[in-house]
Amino acid sequence: MKSETAIDPKIMEEIIRFNKNVLNAPKMVAAPDEITLEVTPHDIVQQVDKTRLLHYKPLTEKQQKTPLLISYALINRYHILDIHPEKSWVRNLLQQGFDVYMMDWGTPTAMDKYLDFDDYINGYLDGAVEYIKNESSVEKISLQGYCTGATLATAYTSLHPESVKNYIATAPVIDGWRDTTVVSNLAKNMDVDKMVDTIGNMPPEFMYYCFSVLKPFEQGIEKYVNFFKNIDNKRFVDNFLRVEKWLSDTPPIPGELFKQWIRDIYQDNLLIQNKMYVNNNHIDLKKIDMPVFTQVAVGDHLVSPECSMPLHYAVGSEDKTLRMYPTGHVGMIASSLSQKKVLPELGQWLLERS
Amino acid sequence: MSSKPQALASTGPMRAFASNSKKVATELLEINQSLMEFNKFLTEYYKQLTETWNEAQKKVSLKAPDVPQDVEQIEAFKRIWIDIFDNDFTELFDSKKFGENYGKLVSKELELTKHWNNITNVILQSANLPSKEEIDEVYKELHALKKRVIKLEIELKKKKVIEKK
Repeated sequence: MKSETAIDPKIMEEIIRFNKNVLNAPKMVAAPDEITLEVTPHDIVQQVDKTRLLHYKPLTEKQQKTPLLISYALINRYHILDIHPEKSWVRNLLQQGFDVYMMDWGTPTAMDKYLDFDDYINGYLDGAVEYIKNESSVEKISLQGYCTGATLATAYTSLHPESVKNYIATAPVIDGWRDTTVVSNLAKNMDVDKMVDTIGNMPPEFMYYCFSVLKPFEQGIEKYVNFFKNIDNKRFVDNFLRVEKWLSDTPPIPGELFKQWIRDIYQDNLLIQNKMYVNNNHIDLKKIDMPVFTQVAVGDHLVSPECSMPLHYAVGSEDKTLRMYPTGHVGMIASSLSQKKVLPELGQWLLERS
Repeated sequence: MSSKPQALASTGPMRAFASNSKKVATELLEINQSLMEFNKFLTEYYKQLTETWNEAQKKVSLKAPDVPQDVEQIEAFKRIWIDIFDNDFTELFDSKKFGENYGKLVSKELELTKHWNNITNVILQSANLPSKEEIDEVYKELHALKKRVIKLEIELKKKKVIEKK
């Protein structure tokens, strides 16, 4: 008679195989410091304080005249835009003939706690734009902002429209009150003044906590189960480790900048209401009158579409495009979908305006 | 000289510490108060997590009451478990009650840090080292100076352009 509690031999096989993979992982997988995240060759053309301006080497004989500067987010590092040769945002744009620059915000230390929006927008970002304009002998450049980097780029574009020919906002953090994510809920209830006064810069550990409450079981369990299941698959492991290394490396955010960002964007929602000021300069979204391309991911659980889309309706531009993609926050910039759909559409849009 | 014996120890490390020891005692008392409040919010934090876990587990049991018998069933069960747990916990983390309690929890943690900083400052002063506030003042000054230098550089650049013309 067959026992009701008999275990399927396939289950046992799976358990044994899984355990074997866990035990063998240290021998089969590269250590994080053995993985290089900088994929595409570039020069560091300008360094101001801890920030760096990267200029990527061209991959085509001829290039578009208008250079493109990418303002990466304040969370994690710019490597995600060049994470793997097959999924590199930067490489794809270079292959389409664009001249690409990238802002690396660097790693702020305790002495940078007083850096604020003004330093980032009118200091570092403006310095980079001026450098590129001089170097390329152009009056205007194309500017792309990603995530919180797009909040900075949006404010910059409003204050310096004379320097921006085209503006691309990718998953921009714009309307904090409409944001439906967990991050926004935590930000709205944060005593940000007390935090910055007490500990100075926003510590990376706090960001790791915020990440840990985003899809905690999918990201905290399923992801690692899949990793051990696929440990024989070199391509899968390589991709996994690159993204993990990127995720585990986020710099602190300067205290004053963080304070203003949480208060003005998430708590008081000043940017979308055209009430935000940076060093007494009014950020008026209606002044963004150049062509604007807004990219939004429907499944974004870090910056919800409701938070990003209002930019499209708030800018003063008549030539504006809003695209929504069936993917997530990272999927929009580093996936096969971004290579096949997001980047070709962006390239075409830029090409027509460069 | 004999009427002011305390002046003899004025350059020693213990004088400053002794004169500020009352402050340390006050800070320690306040730490206890903050710790009690911190524990209150921490208990509420774990209560919310536990309640959500139990509710999610009940939903899983209702949706998948049978013990999985083969690999496919285990996969299906795992999917149900993860989906329900992710949904319920995201709902919790999105909720007002979680946000408010978490905000207060972090706030109390910061108060504890503040007390600790204050005690450390007393020790630093007794060793004739600058306090955190004093170092912050230096950072602030440096930041303001950097801004001023940049402003002057821009003005100088503009002046040179005008002169060239």
